[in-house]
Amino acid sequence: MQILSSVDELKELRSVLFDAIDKDKPRIVICAGTACQASGSNDIIRVAKRYIIQKALVGKVALRITGCHGFCEMGPFILTEPQQAFYTQVKLDDVPRIIDALLSGEYVHDLLYEDRDTGQKYFNRDDIPFFKNQKRSILGANTKIDPIRIYDYIVQDGYRALENVLSRNDPQWVVAQVKRSGLRGRGGGGFPTGVKWELLANQPTNLGKFLVCNADEGDPGAYMDRSVLEGNPHSIIEGMLIGALGTGATEGIVYVRNEYPVAVKHLNIALQQARELGLIGKKILGTDFSFDIKMVRGAGAFVCGEETALIRSIEGKVGEPRQRPPFPVQKGIDGRPTAINNVETWANIPLLFRLGADEFKKIGNKNNSGTKIFSLVGKVRNTGLVEVPMGKSIKEIVYDIGGGSVSRAKIKAVQTGGPSGGCIPAEKFDLPVDYDSLIEAGSIMGSGGMIVMDQNTCMVDVAKYFMNFLKDESCGKCFTCRKGTQRMYEILEDISKGKATLESLDLLKELAEVVKDTTMCGLGQTASNPVLSTLRYFRKEYERHIVDKKCDAFVCKDLVGAPCQTACPLGTEVWRYVALIEKGEYEDAYKIIREVNPLPSICARVCDRKCETRCSHAASGGQGIAVRSLKRFVTDRIDPAVYTPIRKSTYNGDKTKVAIVGSGPAGLAAAHYLSLLGVKVTIIEAEDRPGGMLISCIPAYRLPHDIVTKEIESLLDENVTLKCGTRLGRDVTIDGLFNDGFKAVFLAIGADKSWRLDLEGEDVRGIYPSMQFLKEFNLRGRELAKGHVGIIGGGNSAVDAARVAIRQKKVKKVTMLYRRTSHEMPAYAEEVEAAIEEGIKLETLVTPVKIRYIKAAEAEGITVETFVSPIKIDAKHGHLADIRCIRNKLGEMDSSGRRKPIPILGTEFTIPLDTMIVAIGERPDSDCLASMGLDVGKSGRLSADTETLSTNRPGVFAGGDLVTGPNTVVDAIAAGRKAAEVIDRYLSGKELRLPTKITLPKFFLEPPQIGDEELEEAEREEPATLPVGSRRKNFAEVEMSLSVDQAKREARRCLRCDLEFTQPKNDNESEPASIGEKSI
Amino acid sequence: MIQKAALSNGDEVMTQQDVDPVIITKIVEKHNKDRGEIIAILEEIQTEYGYLPEEALRIVSDKTKRSLVDIYGIATFYRLFSLKPRGKHLVCACLGTACHVRGAPRIVEELQSQLGIQAGETTADMEFTLETVNCLGACALGPVVVIDGHYFSKVKKSGIGQLLEKARTGFDKIDIAKDKRIFPIEVSCPHCNRSLMDESFAIDNHPSIRVAISFDHQDGWLRLSCLYGSYNISTELDVPMDTVVKFNCPHCHVELPSTSNCAMCKAPMVPLLVRGGGIAKICSRRGCKNHMLDVL
Repeated sequence: MQILSSVDELKELRSVLFDAIDKDKPRIVICAGTACQASGSNDIIRVAKRYIIQKALVGKVALRITGCHGFCEMGPFILTEPQQAFYTQVKLDDVPRIIDALLSGEYVHDLLYEDRDTGQKYFNRDDIPFFKNQKRSILGANTKIDPIRIYDYIVQDGYRALENVLSRNDPQWVVAQVKRSGLRGRGGGGFPTGVKWELLANQPTNLGKFLVCNADEGDPGAYMDRSVLEGNPHSIIEGMLIGALGTGATEGIVYVRNEYPVAVKHLNIALQQARELGLIGKKILGTDFSFDIKMVRGAGAFVCGEETALIRSIEGKVGEPRQRPPFPVQKGIDGRPTAINNVETWANIPLLFRLGADEFKKIGNKNNSGTKIFSLVGKVRNTGLVEVPMGKSIKEIVYDIGGGSVSRAKIKAVQTGGPSGGCIPAEKFDLPVDYDSLIEAGSIMGSGGMIVMDQNTCMVDVAKYFMNFLKDESCGKCFTCRKGTQRMYEILEDISKGKATLESLDLLKELAEVVKDTTMCGLGQTASNPVLSTLRYFRKEYERHIVDKKCDAFVCKDLVGAPCQTACPLGTEVWRYVALIEKGEYEDAYKIIREVNPLPSICARVCDRKCETRCSHAASGGQGIAVRSLKRFVTDRIDPAVYTPIRKSTYNGDKTKVAIVGSGPAGLAAAHYLSLLGVKVTIIEAEDRPGGMLISCIPAYRLPHDIVTKEIESLLDENVTLKCGTRLGRDVTIDGLFNDGFKAVFLAIGADKSWRLDLEGEDVRGIYPSMQFLKEFNLRGRELAKGHVGIIGGGNSAVDAARVAIRQKKVKKVTMLYRRTSHEMPAYAEEVEAAIEEGIKLETLVTPVKIRYIKAAEAEGITVETFVSPIKIDAKHGHLADIRCIRNKLGEMDSSGRRKPIPILGTEFTIPLDTMIVAIGERPDSDCLASMGLDVGKSGRLSADTETLSTNRPGVFAGGDLVTGPNTVVDAIAAGRKAAEVIDRYLSGKELRLPTKITLPKFFLEPPQIGDEELEEAEREEPATLPVGSRRKNFAEVEMSLSVDQAKREARRCLRCDLEFTQPKNDNESEPASIGEKSI
Repeated sequence: MIQKAALSNGDEVMTQQDVDPVIITKIVEKHNKDRGEIIAILEEIQTEYGYLPEEALRIVSDKTKRSLVDIYGIATFYRLFSLKPRGKHLVCACLGTACHVRGAPRIVEELQSQLGIQAGETTADMEFTLETVNCLGACALGPVVVIDGHYFSKVKKSGIGQLLEKARTGFDKIDIAKDKRIFPIEVSCPHCNRSLMDESFAIDNHPSIRVAISFDHQDGWLRLSCLYGSYNISTELDVPMDTVVKFNCPHCHVELPSTSNCAMCKAPMVPLLVRGGGIAKICSRRGCKNHMLDVL
């Protein structure tokens, strides 16, 4: 490289370089940012080079290796030019295909980025929502520049701002421009950059002045500085040169974190190349302006991000902050005037001078000009770096760019500003992201980390995490920071262990305020933010830990114990029976299950398996243990007689009678446990046989009726009287029951009334609410469906209805219509899959908008007019003929964190139907309860205290779906069991509220010897299913039992979270276990 | 590039070793004029020994005329420095916020349990040191674990055993015959364009690349593996570490003209024309593995 001796020579170099570019030349761009390297992009680059050399494609296709593009979740990826095709998560073998396609102007369709919801493929990167909704003025350059080639930067208008500034040679103008632009420091504080420069410019020059680029990006969760420094180091150099010209600074220092080796390397190369070209050093571009930049590597101390600490670290001292004033601008490095700006601020300078201050100011909102880069990470689908104009709302960033939640868990907060920042709850997501709004909301902008948190993130744990961080990173100079962070951590630790009281929260708050008010540097002054903001917005979570001893996010280990056991509403010791299965002790396993669950064979088939979702395997992204299949394995082979429940005769001889209304799982469980206490129970059931939803709604191919009958019969002992065909409100009343001598009543009538679509003509023949349809068949054997059957809805009852329909004799075809995508269907995923296997067609993103009748259809035909003008036909003579539907698209997020379906006008279409089943949800049939003096709330749910199940009438308790709305079998059983406990306390005059307790695993069971490789490779065992051919038109049970081998293999896979609590402690602590062996 | 059997690197055992005062003095002198020299000196000593031996700190104190207390203060203030010898393999688990909410604490627990040590400790056999770091800046892919400089993203608890096992055998161990990332290149002299391939002398079962080298009044031949990704070489000379060597074409005898310097060690990079297009560049310093393959 030859040294450039004038501004004109630089201009000429740029123009020569520019002319040499063949813009139409095919080019592949591969990101080699740190995240992509972690995903394997270095190997992709090698294979690309190999292919290009071996196929002699040099000159035909070019290769550019760049820094971070921002879409780190999708790495490694390849971008092609000029096509702008964006291939994600590329494998080694894909590379030749991509190059071949590019050379022939084609696309590799299967590798193009695809929207997970809609399946839409994107041919141009800029159309992908993640990119489309950003404004990438800084990050955008990363994709065009190979950071180790200065010419790449120059040809992209690099150093052009410097040219301009050098030609003018007017320092005051430079500072004025920066002031005018309104640029504020991107490091977090938001101090106006121009003002800082002016202060520096006004300092005496005799000793020399420093400019520092702060690249000690210590905020955990933020990595934009790293990406800018790695991907575009010359923009920092150019920014500092302009700054030096404006402020009269003589020396520049870039202070880089030692944890960023690639940034160090790229900056070194960039400085070397800039020096070779004469862009830094003495007499830059032949002018009198001299400025050199050196790099200093940090040695790992968070507090060194604070400017006075950073200065001491540069001076080679212990990085403790000092009192200000004097400010660094007055006395900085070696006592000389020093201005410190963050990486992103420096990167904005060349842009500002290329655009002009006024244009720059137009980006963003008032007092917050320009763009800001955020690292959008945590529980969000599209993790990566995003750049948006200041003032965009959190909602737009998290949902439109980030794509919302990574799983079904709802997003509840974002954390901004690192350890100095705070958590902003989902209710406040309309907040514009700028310096001032965030401070008002109790957080700060910080360097731009935005960590998304969902229901599986515990806010107490988050506060504890930051306090742990801060207590370690506090330099110790100020007493209140050193001890205050330590004490706050201890209080949070107590809360997370269930050892705190509500007074602890007051103490915590007081302490937080003191630390904030009495410390010297930014670290201490903001250290309380994580605590104060979570207390402000998530106090309920703190109280739940303290009062109920529960961590609903399953994070605080000392409250959670074994997650499978805690997740189970019945508290089943899942880990224990899984371990017993592994040992072949099936009888003991059965006893463990049966002890807490009176309906084990039923749960073994229809439980919603909260234990599997919470399994540690699943929590770390793997496949949870197949607990339900293991339960089925045990209940299928063990005679229930091995378990004899313990009976107490608390109420023996006494004529204590309790009435239970409803014989579903809640009612049955309540009856059983009351009976064990010696209470005489009468169950009142409206239908002809007991079982409730177990019989009337769940189809026999999922839950055979004989299994239900057998299990129910085992619970009907001498203390239990069953009265079928008796309906509350028609045959009996609550007052009547009390008059008959019942001491307490437990209402568990479930939720079996289907919601209506509320469309005109919904009552014509051929249209059935799903509950009616299922009951008619399950209880009375009537087959209501025929011909082409349409099912509206996407929940379990919709799938049940569809699968029952296809088994009915006169049915030819079944179509399910759902308004969102199959990802969002509330039905269990495997049920949906099974339904599709059985030939049920699934139309997603469809909403029925118009039901039409035979006669109307015959008379008018199917036209758009019929859609806009309503039709009126006498329902008595009509029968359903077809439904008119409209296609939807997904719009904004609604309050459930799912995207709203929005109809697309003009996409209406007609589906001819003989039967339609409406399965859009159920509610309790509770109209009669209000007239009995009970408080019936929204959606027909009965109001009852969640802890004591008591209603507004003394002696009347309620539980199950009647209270919660449609819910699962296991939750209903749990409610029934709780009702028995509460009613027992009521009858004996005790305080109704049950004492809270933490359930931790207690019994030690020797774990099997299992190698890590076996554990890693073992796949989840799935039970065999009846072949599709054998399922048609019959109700044989579809899912089979696991084989002995399968069950044992599956049980071996258990990570045995219980051991942490039960393992005998090794007394000989001093002797460390040898490597590879788990310490016992 | 010039390093014997460099594929098995990472084998230098970082156990307690004797401190060589000459090396320490050299390091001190190298940085003595820098501002904030102590941190740079300690960094380089740590690179040399893997930790900061007490003896070395005493020498630094003596040479820089700074009190030992000052030096000890710096060495204990910054996370980078370790006063205890570290294991052969450095396992570093990220505990940044993004990794934390994605379950990093469970990963650390598993590492602790499998290695039988706490974070910050080294196994008794000096194989592994386990450390945690507050953020590695790969937040999009958490939880992240870095072992011996290799990043592993979205780490699962069940995958940790295998990761440690791989670390033990060495991540750089590559099956040259099977690995897709390894491929042969044919090179020629950028000056006379004659082939530098030597069919008669095989390295890695492929023809080698033959060049003439000279340093310090010695000259002789050097043969390099033609496999991109293999550092195997053969030479008749005994080239001491850190020596910068001159490369000449064996045909036209012209020195292979360097146009750029090594980003790692500043020695000239030696260009070789690649058949099929492109230029390979290798660092001329013995021991430096920096290289490039340009296919622009």
